[in-house]
Amino acid sequence: MLEGIKSIKKSFLLVLLVITIGCAFIPFTTTSYMLRVLNIAMIAYLCVLSVYILLGMCGQNSFAQAGLWGVGAYFTANFTLKLGFGSVTAMLVAIVGTALFAFVLGFAFFRLKQYYFTFASIGLMTILNGLFMNWVPVTGGALGISGIPPFQIGGLVLDSETGKFFLIFVVCILANILIQILFHSPMGRSFMAIRDNELAASCLGINSLLTKSIAFALSGALCGAAGALYAFLSGYLSYQTFTYQQSTMYLIMIMLGGTISPVGAIIGTLVISLLQEWVRPLQNYMQLIYGVGIMILMIVQPEGILGGGKAFYEKYIRSRKRDTEVNRR
Amino acid sequence: MKSTSAPENATLKLIGVNKNFGGVTAADNICLELFPGEVVGLIGPNGAGKTTLLNLITGIYMPDKGTVILNDKNISRYPTYKRARAGIARTFQHPRLLDRCDVRTNVYMGSDLANKCKKTTGNVGEQLDYLMELAGLGQTRLDDTIDKLSYGQQKILEIIRAILCEPCVLLLDEPAAGLNNKEIGYVGALIQYAVEKNIGVLLIEHAMDFVMSICDRITVLNFGHQITTGTPKEVQENDEVIKAYLGGGKHAGR
Repeated sequence: MLEGIKSIKKSFLLVLLVITIGCAFIPFTTTSYMLRVLNIAMIAYLCVLSVYILLGMCGQNSFAQAGLWGVGAYFTANFTLKLGFGSVTAMLVAIVGTALFAFVLGFAFFRLKQYYFTFASIGLMTILNGLFMNWVPVTGGALGISGIPPFQIGGLVLDSETGKFFLIFVVCILANILIQILFHSPMGRSFMAIRDNELAASCLGINSLLTKSIAFALSGALCGAAGALYAFLSGYLSYQTFTYQQSTMYLIMIMLGGTISPVGAIIGTLVISLLQEWVRPLQNYMQLIYGVGIMILMIVQPEGILGGGKAFYEKYIRSRKRDTEVNRR
Repeated sequence: MKSTSAPENATLKLIGVNKNFGGVTAADNICLELFPGEVVGLIGPNGAGKTTLLNLITGIYMPDKGTVILNDKNISRYPTYKRARAGIARTFQHPRLLDRCDVRTNVYMGSDLANKCKKTTGNVGEQLDYLMELAGLGQTRLDDTIDKLSYGQQKILEIIRAILCEPCVLLLDEPAAGLNNKEIGYVGALIQYAVEKNIGVLLIEHAMDFVMSICDRITVLNFGHQITTGTPKEVQENDEVIKAYLGGGKHAGR
Protein backbone atom coordinates (compact mmCIF):
# COMPACT_ATOMS: atom_id res chain seq x y z
CA MET A 1 0.00 0.00 0.00
CA LEU A 2 2.72 2.43 1.06
CA GLU A 3 4.78 1.44 -1.93
CA GLY A 4 1.78 2.13 -4.15
CA ILE A 5 1.35 5.61 -2.70
CA LYS A 6 5.02 6.41 -3.11
CA SER A 7 5.15 5.30 -6.71
CA ILE A 8 2.36 7.60 -7.89
CA LYS A 9 4.02 9.81 -10.41
CA LYS A 10 3.98 13.57 -10.10
CA SER A 11 2.76 13.77 -13.68
CA PHE A 12 -0.33 11.76 -12.74
CA LEU A 13 -1.17 14.16 -9.92
CA LEU A 14 -0.57 17.12 -12.22
CA VAL A 15 -2.90 15.77 -14.90
CA LEU A 16 -5.48 15.04 -12.21
CA LEU A 17 -5.18 18.61 -10.91
CA VAL A 18 -5.62 20.12 -14.36
CA ILE A 19 -8.65 17.93 -15.06
CA THR A 20 -10.14 18.79 -11.66
CA ILE A 21 -9.78 22.52 -12.18
CA GLY A 22 -11.07 22.28 -15.73
CA CYS A 23 -14.09 20.24 -14.74
CA ALA A 24 -14.94 22.45 -11.80
CA PHE A 25 -16.16 25.05 -14.30
CA ILE A 26 -18.42 22.66 -16.19
CA PRO A 27 -21.54 23.16 -14.01
CA PHE A 28 -21.50 26.91 -14.61
CA THR A 29 -21.21 26.72 -18.38
CA THR A 30 -23.76 24.09 -19.28
CA THR A 31 -27.49 23.48 -19.04
CA SER A 32 -29.05 21.54 -16.20
CA TYR A 33 -30.09 18.82 -18.65
CA MET A 34 -26.54 18.36 -19.91
CA LEU A 35 -25.36 18.32 -16.32
CA ARG A 36 -27.70 15.44 -15.58
CA VAL A 37 -26.29 13.60 -18.58
CA LEU A 38 -22.78 14.16 -17.25
CA ASN A 39 -23.77 12.99 -13.78
CA ILE A 40 -25.18 9.76 -15.18
CA ALA A 41 -22.05 9.39 -17.31
CA MET A 42 -19.78 9.77 -14.28
CA ILE A 43 -21.75 7.12 -12.41
CA ALA A 44 -21.38 4.87 -15.44
CA TYR A 45 -17.68 5.73 -15.37
CA LEU A 46 -17.37 4.32 -11.84
CA CYS A 47 -18.96 1.09 -13.04
CA VAL A 48 -16.67 1.02 -16.06
CA LEU A 49 -13.71 1.46 -13.70
CA SER A 50 -14.99 -1.57 -11.82
CA VAL A 51 -14.88 -3.46 -15.12
CA TYR A 52 -11.35 -2.14 -15.61
CA ILE A 53 -10.22 -3.68 -12.31
CA LEU A 54 -11.82 -6.98 -13.14
CA LEU A 55 -11.19 -7.25 -16.88
CA GLY A 56 -8.34 -4.84 -17.54
CA MET A 57 -6.21 -5.76 -14.55
CA CYS A 58 -7.31 -9.24 -13.53
CA GLY A 59 -8.48 -10.57 -16.91
CA GLN A 60 -11.88 -11.74 -15.68
CA ASN A 61 -14.96 -10.80 -17.66
CA SER A 62 -18.17 -10.13 -15.75
CA PHE A 63 -21.67 -9.39 -17.02
CA ALA A 64 -22.98 -8.76 -13.50
CA GLN A 65 -21.66 -5.24 -12.88
CA ALA A 66 -25.05 -3.55 -13.35
CA GLY A 67 -26.44 -6.04 -10.84
CA LEU A 68 -23.81 -5.04 -8.29
CA TRP A 69 -24.57 -1.42 -9.11
CA GLY A 70 -28.21 -2.17 -8.26
CA VAL A 71 -27.23 -3.91 -5.02
CA GLY A 72 -25.41 -0.74 -3.97
CA ALA A 73 -28.37 1.43 -4.93
CA TYR A 74 -30.94 -0.68 -3.05
CA PHE A 75 -28.64 -0.85 -0.01
CA THR A 76 -28.59 2.95 0.03
CA ALA A 77 -32.34 3.29 -0.48
CA ASN A 78 -33.15 0.89 2.33
CA PHE A 79 -30.68 2.34 4.77
CA THR A 80 -31.77 5.95 4.24
CA LEU A 81 -35.51 5.56 3.66
CA LYS A 82 -36.50 2.59 5.79
CA LEU A 83 -33.83 2.46 8.48
CA GLY A 84 -33.25 6.21 8.71
CA PHE A 85 -29.46 6.25 8.55
CA GLY A 86 -27.50 9.28 7.36
CA SER A 87 -26.28 9.59 3.77
CA VAL A 88 -22.63 8.97 4.55
CA THR A 89 -23.38 5.86 6.61
CA ALA A 90 -25.71 4.54 3.93
CA MET A 91 -23.10 5.08 1.25
CA LEU A 92 -20.42 3.33 3.30
CA VAL A 93 -22.80 0.45 3.94
CA ALA A 94 -23.52 0.26 0.20
CA ILE A 95 -19.80 0.13 -0.62
CA VAL A 96 -18.84 -2.40 2.04
CA GLY A 97 -22.01 -4.45 1.61
CA THR A 98 -21.64 -4.76 -2.14
CA ALA A 99 -17.95 -5.57 -1.79
CA LEU A 100 -18.70 -8.36 0.69
CA PHE A 101 -21.53 -9.64 -1.48
CA ALA A 102 -19.18 -9.76 -4.48
CA PHE A 103 -16.38 -11.34 -2.44
CA VAL A 104 -18.54 -14.23 -1.22
CA LEU A 105 -19.94 -14.85 -4.70
CA GLY A 106 -16.48 -14.52 -6.22
CA PHE A 107 -15.15 -17.13 -3.85
CA ALA A 108 -17.80 -19.53 -5.17
CA PHE A 109 -17.62 -18.48 -8.83
CA PHE A 110 -13.86 -18.42 -9.28
CA ARG A 111 -13.65 -22.12 -8.63
CA LEU A 112 -14.73 -22.11 -12.26
CA LYS A 113 -11.84 -21.74 -14.64
CA GLN A 114 -11.44 -19.61 -17.76
CA TYR A 115 -14.61 -18.17 -19.27
CA TYR A 116 -16.98 -20.19 -17.09
CA PHE A 117 -16.89 -17.34 -14.60
CA THR A 118 -18.39 -15.14 -17.31
CA PHE A 119 -21.29 -17.55 -17.73
CA ALA A 120 -21.82 -17.66 -13.98
CA SER A 121 -21.89 -13.87 -13.92
CA ILE A 122 -24.63 -13.85 -16.56
CA GLY A 123 -26.62 -16.12 -14.27
CA LEU A 124 -25.97 -13.80 -11.35
CA MET A 125 -27.14 -10.80 -13.35
CA THR A 126 -30.37 -12.55 -14.30
CA ILE A 127 -31.06 -13.60 -10.71
CA LEU A 128 -30.31 -10.13 -9.35
CA ASN A 129 -32.61 -8.49 -11.87
CA GLY A 130 -35.35 -10.97 -10.97
CA LEU A 131 -34.78 -10.18 -7.32
CA PHE A 132 -35.00 -6.42 -7.90
CA MET A 133 -38.30 -6.96 -9.71
CA ASN A 134 -39.92 -9.38 -7.27
CA TRP A 135 -38.59 -8.85 -3.76
CA VAL A 136 -41.26 -6.27 -2.90
CA PRO A 137 -40.44 -5.51 0.78
CA VAL A 138 -36.84 -4.58 -0.06
CA THR A 139 -36.85 -3.34 -3.63
CA GLY A 140 -40.43 -2.14 -3.99
CA GLY A 141 -40.99 -4.67 -6.74
CA ALA A 142 -42.09 -3.42 -10.12
CA LEU A 143 -43.10 -0.05 -8.67
CA GLY A 144 -39.57 0.61 -7.44
CA ILE A 145 -38.54 2.82 -4.55
CA SER A 146 -39.11 6.55 -4.68
CA GLY A 147 -38.41 9.48 -2.39
CA ILE A 148 -34.81 8.70 -1.51
CA PRO A 149 -33.46 11.84 0.19
CA PRO A 150 -30.53 13.63 -1.47
CA PHE A 151 -27.02 13.34 -0.09
CA GLN A 152 -26.43 15.47 2.98
CA ILE A 153 -23.42 15.91 5.18
CA GLY A 154 -23.34 18.09 8.29
CA GLY A 155 -26.38 20.19 7.38
CA LEU A 156 -25.24 20.67 3.78
CA VAL A 157 -27.89 19.22 1.49
CA LEU A 158 -26.75 18.48 -2.05
CA ASP A 159 -30.11 18.57 -3.80
CA SER A 160 -29.21 20.79 -6.75
CA GLU A 161 -27.85 19.25 -9.91
CA THR A 162 -24.59 21.20 -9.42
CA GLY A 163 -24.18 19.94 -5.87
CA LYS A 164 -24.70 16.38 -7.04
CA PHE A 165 -22.18 16.96 -9.82
CA PHE A 166 -19.48 17.88 -7.33
CA LEU A 167 -20.32 14.95 -5.05
CA ILE A 168 -20.04 12.45 -7.88
CA PHE A 169 -16.99 14.21 -9.27
CA VAL A 170 -15.14 13.95 -5.96
CA VAL A 171 -15.93 10.24 -5.72
CA CYS A 172 -14.66 9.73 -9.28
CA ILE A 173 -11.38 11.48 -8.48
CA LEU A 174 -10.96 9.42 -5.31
CA ALA A 175 -11.65 6.23 -7.24
CA ASN A 176 -9.01 7.20 -9.78
CA ILE A 177 -6.39 7.83 -7.12
CA LEU A 178 -7.21 4.51 -5.45
CA ILE A 179 -6.88 2.66 -8.76
CA GLN A 180 -3.53 4.33 -9.37
CA ILE A 181 -2.34 3.18 -5.94
CA LEU A 182 -3.67 -0.31 -6.61
CA PHE A 183 -1.88 -0.44 -9.96
CA HIS A 184 1.53 0.05 -8.35
CA SER A 185 0.92 -2.13 -5.28
CA PRO A 186 1.73 -5.83 -4.83
CA MET A 187 -2.01 -6.51 -4.92
CA GLY A 188 -2.36 -4.87 -8.34
CA ARG A 189 0.68 -6.77 -9.60
CA SER A 190 -0.84 -10.04 -8.47
CA PHE A 191 -4.02 -9.16 -10.43
CA MET A 192 -1.95 -8.58 -13.54
CA ALA A 193 0.03 -11.76 -12.97
CA ILE A 194 -3.22 -13.71 -13.00
CA ARG A 195 -4.34 -11.91 -16.16
CA ASP A 196 -1.11 -12.62 -18.02
CA ASN A 197 -0.18 -16.07 -16.79
CA GLU A 198 -2.11 -17.85 -14.10
CA LEU A 199 0.33 -20.75 -13.80
CA ALA A 200 3.31 -18.44 -13.38
CA ALA A 201 1.28 -16.46 -10.85
CA SER A 202 0.66 -19.51 -8.70
CA CYS A 203 4.36 -20.40 -8.91
CA LEU A 204 5.01 -16.93 -7.53
CA GLY A 205 2.90 -17.68 -4.46
CA ILE A 206 -0.34 -16.08 -5.58
CA ASN A 207 -3.54 -17.73 -4.40
CA SER A 208 -5.54 -17.18 -7.55
CA LEU A 209 -8.96 -18.01 -6.06
CA LEU A 210 -8.52 -15.50 -3.25
CA THR A 211 -6.91 -12.85 -5.44
CA LYS A 212 -9.64 -13.04 -8.07
CA SER A 213 -12.29 -12.84 -5.34
CA ILE A 214 -10.59 -9.72 -3.98
CA ALA A 215 -10.59 -8.21 -7.47
CA PHE A 216 -14.30 -8.96 -7.74
CA ALA A 217 -14.87 -7.46 -4.29
CA LEU A 218 -12.99 -4.27 -5.22
CA SER A 219 -15.03 -3.96 -8.39
CA GLY A 220 -18.11 -4.56 -6.23
CA ALA A 221 -17.07 -1.72 -3.94
CA LEU A 222 -16.85 0.66 -6.90
CA CYS A 223 -20.23 -0.50 -8.19
CA GLY A 224 -21.63 -0.07 -4.67
CA ALA A 225 -20.38 3.52 -4.57
CA ALA A 226 -21.86 4.12 -8.02
CA GLY A 227 -25.17 2.64 -6.87
CA ALA A 228 -25.30 4.85 -3.79
CA LEU A 229 -24.55 7.92 -5.92
CA TYR A 230 -27.26 6.92 -8.38
CA ALA A 231 -29.79 6.58 -5.55
CA PHE A 232 -28.90 10.06 -4.29
CA LEU A 233 -28.95 11.50 -7.80
CA SER A 234 -32.24 10.17 -9.04
CA GLY A 235 -34.15 9.60 -5.81
CA TYR A 236 -36.03 6.80 -7.52
CA LEU A 237 -34.95 3.23 -8.23
CA SER A 238 -36.53 0.89 -10.73
CA TYR A 239 -35.52 -2.65 -11.57
CA GLN A 240 -35.51 -1.57 -15.22
CA THR A 241 -32.32 0.43 -14.65
CA PHE A 242 -30.17 -2.46 -13.46
CA THR A 243 -30.31 -4.73 -16.44
CA TYR A 244 -28.16 -7.12 -18.37
CA GLN A 245 -28.08 -4.56 -21.21
CA GLN A 246 -26.51 -2.04 -18.86
CA SER A 247 -23.77 -4.53 -17.92
CA THR A 248 -23.09 -5.10 -21.58
CA MET A 249 -22.93 -1.34 -22.09
CA TYR A 250 -20.14 -1.08 -19.51
CA LEU A 251 -18.19 -3.75 -21.33
CA ILE A 252 -18.69 -1.96 -24.63
CA MET A 253 -17.51 1.27 -23.06
CA ILE A 254 -14.27 -0.21 -21.78
CA MET A 255 -13.63 -2.18 -24.97
CA LEU A 256 -14.14 1.00 -26.99
CA GLY A 257 -11.83 3.00 -24.75
CA GLY A 258 -9.24 0.28 -24.30
CA THR A 259 -8.44 -1.96 -21.36
CA ILE A 260 -4.76 -1.10 -21.04
CA SER A 261 -5.23 1.81 -18.64
CA PRO A 262 -8.01 3.50 -16.65
CA VAL A 263 -7.85 6.34 -19.16
CA GLY A 264 -9.57 3.94 -21.55
CA ALA A 265 -12.53 3.88 -19.18
CA ILE A 266 -12.81 7.68 -19.35
CA ILE A 267 -12.63 7.76 -23.14
CA GLY A 268 -15.09 4.91 -23.61
CA THR A 269 -17.64 6.27 -21.14
CA LEU A 270 -17.49 9.79 -22.53
CA VAL A 271 -17.76 8.72 -26.16
CA ILE A 272 -20.72 6.41 -25.62
CA SER A 273 -22.57 8.67 -23.17
CA LEU A 274 -22.26 11.73 -25.38
CA LEU A 275 -23.01 9.68 -28.49
CA GLN A 276 -26.27 8.60 -26.90
CA GLU A 277 -27.21 12.27 -26.49
CA TRP A 278 -26.09 13.47 -29.89
CA VAL A 279 -27.85 10.80 -31.87
CA ARG A 280 -31.03 10.86 -29.80
CA PRO A 281 -33.12 11.54 -32.96
CA LEU A 282 -31.90 8.17 -34.26
CA GLN A 283 -32.80 6.38 -31.04
CA ASN A 284 -34.72 3.64 -32.84
CA TYR A 285 -31.57 2.67 -34.68
CA MET A 286 -29.34 2.84 -31.61
CA GLN A 287 -29.07 -0.94 -31.14
CA LEU A 288 -28.16 -1.32 -34.80
CA ILE A 289 -25.50 1.39 -34.54
CA TYR A 290 -23.99 -0.30 -31.45
CA GLY A 291 -24.04 -3.71 -33.04
CA VAL A 292 -22.32 -2.64 -36.22
CA GLY A 293 -20.01 -0.32 -34.30
CA ILE A 294 -18.79 -3.12 -32.03
CA MET A 295 -18.15 -5.41 -34.96
CA ILE A 296 -16.15 -2.74 -36.78
CA LEU A 297 -14.24 -1.91 -33.60
CA MET A 298 -13.27 -5.52 -32.97
CA ILE A 299 -12.02 -5.94 -36.51
CA VAL A 300 -10.24 -2.61 -36.92
CA GLN A 301 -8.98 -1.88 -33.44
CA PRO A 302 -9.40 -4.71 -30.89
CA GLU A 303 -7.32 -2.80 -28.33
CA GLY A 304 -9.77 0.10 -28.30
CA ILE A 305 -9.21 3.78 -28.95
CA LEU A 306 -6.43 3.98 -26.36
CA GLY A 307 -4.64 0.89 -27.67
CA GLY A 308 -4.89 2.23 -31.22
CA GLY A 309 -3.60 5.62 -30.13
CA LYS A 310 -0.69 4.02 -28.30
CA ALA A 311 0.28 1.90 -31.30
CA PHE A 312 0.06 4.96 -33.53
CA TYR A 313 2.22 6.97 -31.11
CA GLU A 314 4.89 4.25 -30.90
CA LYS A 315 4.96 3.99 -34.68
CA TYR A 316 5.38 7.75 -34.87
CA ILE A 317 8.26 7.71 -32.35
CA ARG A 318 9.96 4.88 -34.23
CA SER A 319 9.68 6.63 -37.58
CA ARG A 320 11.07 9.84 -36.09
CA LYS A 321 13.99 7.92 -34.61
CA ARG A 322 14.65 6.35 -37.98
CA ASP A 323 14.52 9.78 -39.65
CA THR A 324 17.03 11.30 -37.25
CA GLU A 325 19.34 8.34 -37.73
CA VAL A 326 19.15 8.73 -41.48
CA ASN A 327 19.82 12.44 -41.16
CA ARG A 328 22.84 11.79 -38.98
CA ARG A 329 24.36 9.60 -41.63
CA MET B 1 30.54 -26.53 -6.31
CA LYS B 2 29.66 -27.37 -2.72
CA SER B 3 32.67 -26.53 -0.63
CA THR B 4 32.07 -28.57 2.52
CA SER B 5 30.91 -32.12 2.81
CA ALA B 6 29.67 -31.65 6.38
CA PRO B 7 26.40 -33.52 6.94
CA GLU B 8 23.51 -31.08 6.59
CA ASN B 9 19.83 -31.67 6.36
CA ALA B 10 18.59 -31.78 2.82
CA THR B 11 16.44 -28.78 1.89
CA LEU B 12 14.34 -30.73 -0.53
CA LYS B 13 13.73 -34.43 -0.27
CA LEU B 14 11.65 -36.63 -2.57
CA ILE B 15 10.80 -40.05 -1.18
CA GLY B 16 9.36 -42.63 -3.56
CA VAL B 17 7.41 -40.16 -5.67
CA ASN B 18 5.10 -41.80 -8.20
CA LYS B 19 2.97 -40.35 -10.98
CA ASN B 20 0.92 -42.13 -13.64
CA PHE B 21 -0.90 -40.62 -16.58
CA GLY B 22 -3.35 -43.25 -17.71
CA GLY B 23 -1.08 -46.20 -18.32
CA VAL B 24 2.09 -44.17 -18.71
CA THR B 25 4.44 -43.97 -15.76
CA ALA B 26 5.90 -40.48 -15.77
CA ALA B 27 7.65 -40.81 -12.43
CA ASP B 28 8.42 -44.17 -10.89
CA ASN B 29 9.57 -44.25 -7.30
CA ILE B 30 11.84 -41.22 -7.58
CA CYS B 31 14.09 -40.47 -4.62
CA LEU B 32 16.07 -37.27 -4.61
CA GLU B 33 17.88 -35.07 -2.14
CA LEU B 34 18.91 -31.48 -2.61
CA PHE B 35 21.21 -29.78 -0.11
CA PRO B 36 21.57 -26.03 0.43
CA GLY B 37 24.03 -24.49 -2.00
CA GLU B 38 24.19 -27.60 -4.13
CA VAL B 39 23.51 -27.89 -7.85
CA VAL B 40 21.86 -31.12 -8.91
CA GLY B 41 21.43 -31.84 -12.59
CA LEU B 42 18.43 -33.72 -13.88
CA ILE B 43 19.12 -35.25 -17.26
CA GLY B 44 17.56 -37.80 -19.52
CA PRO B 45 16.24 -38.14 -23.06
CA ASN B 46 13.08 -36.34 -24.17
CA GLY B 47 10.00 -37.73 -22.45
CA ALA B 48 12.04 -39.08 -19.55
CA GLY B 49 9.78 -37.26 -17.07
CA LYS B 50 12.08 -34.44 -16.07
CA THR B 51 9.57 -31.64 -16.40
CA THR B 52 6.91 -33.86 -14.85
CA LEU B 53 9.15 -34.23 -11.83
CA LEU B 54 9.48 -30.46 -11.60
CA ASN B 55 5.71 -30.15 -11.84
CA LEU B 56 5.38 -32.68 -9.02
CA ILE B 57 7.75 -30.67 -6.86
CA THR B 58 5.94 -27.38 -7.53
CA GLY B 59 2.50 -28.92 -7.04
CA ILE B 60 1.22 -28.39 -10.56
CA TYR B 61 0.67 -32.15 -10.46
CA MET B 62 -0.05 -33.98 -7.23
CA PRO B 63 1.98 -37.17 -6.74
CA ASP B 64 0.02 -40.42 -6.74
CA LYS B 65 2.32 -41.85 -4.11
CA GLY B 66 5.34 -40.69 -2.15
CA THR B 67 6.23 -37.58 -0.21
CA VAL B 68 7.84 -34.25 -0.99
CA ILE B 69 9.64 -32.75 1.98
CA LEU B 70 10.88 -29.19 2.13
CA ASN B 71 12.85 -28.09 5.20
CA ASP B 72 11.55 -31.09 7.19
CA LYS B 73 7.97 -30.23 6.32
CA ASN B 74 5.78 -32.56 4.31
CA ILE B 75 4.42 -30.45 1.46
CA SER B 76 3.06 -33.29 -0.70
CA ARG B 77 -0.52 -32.01 -0.49
CA TYR B 78 0.22 -28.29 -0.72
CA PRO B 79 -1.19 -26.40 -3.69
CA THR B 80 1.29 -24.59 -5.94
CA TYR B 81 1.06 -21.15 -4.36
CA LYS B 82 1.68 -22.53 -0.85
CA ARG B 83 4.77 -24.38 -2.05
CA ALA B 84 6.02 -21.18 -3.64
CA ARG B 85 5.51 -19.40 -0.33
CA ALA B 86 7.29 -22.25 1.46
CA GLY B 87 10.36 -21.53 -0.67
CA ILE B 88 10.18 -23.26 -4.05
CA ALA B 89 10.86 -21.04 -7.04
CA ARG B 90 10.98 -22.22 -10.62
CA THR B 91 11.40 -21.16 -14.20
CA PHE B 92 9.73 -22.70 -17.22
CA GLN B 93 11.02 -24.28 -20.38
CA HIS B 94 9.37 -21.46 -22.31
CA PRO B 95 9.54 -18.30 -20.24
CA ARG B 96 6.27 -17.46 -18.56
CA LEU B 97 6.58 -13.77 -17.94
CA LEU B 98 3.75 -11.29 -17.59
CA ASP B 99 3.90 -10.27 -21.22
CA ARG B 100 1.58 -7.27 -21.02
CA CYS B 101 3.56 -5.75 -18.13
CA ASP B 102 6.90 -3.98 -18.04
CA VAL B 103 10.18 -5.43 -16.78
CA ARG B 104 9.78 -3.77 -13.39
CA THR B 105 6.40 -5.37 -12.68
CA ASN B 106 7.83 -8.73 -13.65
CA VAL B 107 10.83 -8.70 -11.37
CA TYR B 108 8.87 -7.11 -8.52
CA MET B 109 6.56 -10.13 -8.57
CA GLY B 110 9.51 -12.06 -7.17
CA SER B 111 10.35 -9.59 -4.43
CA ASP B 112 6.64 -9.29 -3.57
CA LEU B 113 6.69 -12.97 -2.69
CA ALA B 114 9.86 -12.57 -0.63
CA ASN B 115 8.31 -9.65 1.25
CA LYS B 116 5.07 -11.52 1.83
CA CYS B 117 6.77 -14.57 3.29
CA LYS B 118 9.42 -12.86 5.37
CA LYS B 119 7.07 -10.11 6.53
CA THR B 120 9.76 -7.56 5.82
CA THR B 121 9.85 -4.87 3.21
CA GLY B 122 13.44 -5.21 2.11
CA ASN B 123 14.82 -2.96 -0.56
CA VAL B 124 14.79 -4.79 -3.85
CA GLY B 125 16.66 -2.07 -5.76
CA GLU B 126 20.28 -2.92 -4.97
CA GLN B 127 19.99 -6.66 -5.40
CA LEU B 128 18.06 -6.15 -8.62
CA ASP B 129 20.66 -3.79 -10.05
CA TYR B 130 23.41 -6.24 -9.15
CA LEU B 131 21.59 -9.19 -10.73
CA MET B 132 20.71 -7.27 -13.89
CA GLU B 133 24.33 -6.24 -14.27
CA LEU B 134 25.50 -9.79 -13.55
CA ALA B 135 23.16 -11.22 -16.17
CA GLY B 136 24.05 -8.77 -18.91
CA LEU B 137 20.76 -6.90 -18.64
CA GLY B 138 22.40 -3.74 -17.31
CA GLN B 139 21.26 -1.76 -20.34
CA THR B 140 17.63 -2.85 -20.07
CA ARG B 141 15.22 -0.16 -18.97
CA LEU B 142 12.79 -1.26 -16.29
CA ASP B 143 9.96 0.58 -18.07
CA ASP B 144 10.32 -1.48 -21.24
CA THR B 145 7.66 -4.01 -22.03
CA ILE B 146 8.62 -7.66 -22.19
CA ASP B 147 8.33 -7.92 -25.97
CA LYS B 148 11.33 -5.59 -26.31
CA LEU B 149 13.54 -8.35 -24.83
CA SER B 150 15.01 -11.20 -26.83
CA TYR B 151 14.09 -14.80 -26.06
CA GLY B 152 17.34 -15.33 -24.18
CA GLN B 153 16.92 -12.15 -22.18
CA GLN B 154 13.40 -13.23 -21.26
CA LYS B 155 14.67 -16.57 -19.96
CA ILE B 156 17.39 -14.81 -17.96
CA LEU B 157 14.86 -12.34 -16.57
CA GLU B 158 12.73 -15.25 -15.42
CA ILE B 159 15.70 -16.67 -13.48
CA ILE B 160 16.28 -13.25 -11.89
CA ARG B 161 12.62 -13.12 -10.89
CA ALA B 162 12.92 -16.58 -9.32
CA ILE B 163 16.06 -15.61 -7.38
CA LEU B 164 14.34 -12.46 -6.09
CA CYS B 165 11.70 -14.73 -4.51
CA GLU B 166 14.50 -15.62 -2.07
CA PRO B 167 13.67 -19.33 -2.28
CA CYS B 168 15.31 -22.29 -0.52
CA VAL B 169 15.12 -24.29 -3.73
CA LEU B 170 15.45 -23.05 -7.30
CA LEU B 171 14.16 -25.27 -10.08
CA LEU B 172 15.40 -24.43 -13.56
CA ASP B 173 13.76 -26.09 -16.55
CA GLU B 174 16.23 -26.03 -19.45
CA PRO B 175 17.55 -22.53 -18.77
CA ALA B 176 20.20 -22.77 -21.49
CA ALA B 177 17.99 -24.09 -24.30
CA GLY B 178 17.83 -21.64 -27.19
CA LEU B 179 20.52 -19.37 -25.71
CA ASN B 180 23.82 -18.37 -27.26
CA ASN B 181 27.13 -19.03 -25.51
CA LYS B 182 27.34 -15.60 -23.97
CA GLU B 183 23.86 -15.92 -22.53
CA ILE B 184 24.64 -19.41 -21.20
CA GLY B 185 27.54 -17.77 -19.38
CA TYR B 186 25.09 -15.35 -17.75
CA VAL B 187 22.87 -18.26 -16.68
CA GLY B 188 25.95 -19.89 -15.13
CA ALA B 189 26.73 -16.68 -13.26
CA LEU B 190 23.18 -16.50 -11.91
CA ILE B 191 23.35 -20.13 -10.75
CA GLN B 192 26.67 -19.33 -9.07
CA TYR B 193 24.99 -16.39 -7.33
CA ALA B 194 22.15 -18.65 -6.11
CA VAL B 195 24.70 -21.14 -4.77
CA GLU B 196 26.48 -18.39 -2.86
CA LYS B 197 23.13 -17.49 -1.33
CA ASN B 198 22.87 -21.12 -0.15
CA ILE B 199 19.97 -21.91 -2.47
CA GLY B 200 19.71 -25.50 -3.66
CA VAL B 201 19.47 -25.60 -7.45
CA LEU B 202 17.81 -28.38 -9.43
CA LEU B 203 18.70 -28.04 -13.07
CA ILE B 204 17.16 -29.72 -16.09
CA GLU B 205 19.36 -29.31 -19.10
CA HIS B 206 20.32 -30.94 -22.36
CA ALA B 207 23.53 -29.00 -22.94
CA MET B 208 25.91 -31.64 -21.55
CA ASP B 209 29.03 -29.48 -21.25
CA PHE B 210 27.07 -26.99 -19.19
CA VAL B 211 25.56 -29.66 -16.93
CA MET B 212 28.84 -31.50 -16.37
CA SER B 213 30.71 -28.32 -15.53
CA ILE B 214 28.22 -26.78 -13.13
CA CYS B 215 26.57 -29.68 -11.27
CA ASP B 216 27.73 -31.28 -8.03
CA ARG B 217 25.60 -34.34 -8.60
CA ILE B 218 23.51 -35.59 -11.47
CA THR B 219 20.37 -37.70 -11.54
CA VAL B 220 19.55 -39.53 -14.74
CA LEU B 221 15.99 -40.37 -15.68
CA ASN B 222 14.65 -42.55 -18.46
CA PHE B 223 10.96 -43.32 -19.05
CA GLY B 224 10.18 -42.13 -15.53
CA HIS B 225 12.75 -44.43 -13.96
CA GLN B 226 15.66 -43.16 -11.99
CA ILE B 227 18.70 -44.80 -13.54
CA THR B 228 21.38 -43.40 -11.28
CA THR B 229 22.54 -40.51 -9.17
CA GLY B 230 26.16 -39.53 -8.77
CA THR B 231 28.91 -37.08 -9.51
CA PRO B 232 29.29 -36.01 -13.16
CA LYS B 233 32.24 -38.38 -13.51
CA GLU B 234 30.38 -41.38 -12.08
CA VAL B 235 27.41 -40.69 -14.31
CA GLN B 236 29.54 -40.40 -17.42
CA GLU B 237 31.10 -43.76 -16.67
CA ASN B 238 27.86 -45.54 -15.83
CA ASP B 239 27.12 -48.19 -18.45
CA GLU B 240 23.37 -47.97 -18.10
CA VAL B 241 23.46 -44.23 -18.62
CA ILE B 242 25.62 -44.57 -21.69
CA LYS B 243 23.21 -47.13 -23.05
CA ALA B 244 20.10 -45.07 -22.31
CA TYR B 245 21.25 -41.61 -23.01
CA LEU B 246 24.79 -40.66 -23.79
CA GLY B 247 25.00 -43.81 -25.93
CA GLY B 248 24.67 -43.49 -29.68
CA GLY B 249 27.11 -41.09 -31.27
CA LYS B 250 29.38 -40.53 -28.32
CA HIS B 251 29.81 -44.20 -27.57
CA ALA B 252 30.34 -45.11 -31.19
CA GLY B 253 32.82 -42.29 -31.58
CA ARG B 254 35.24 -43.70 -29.03
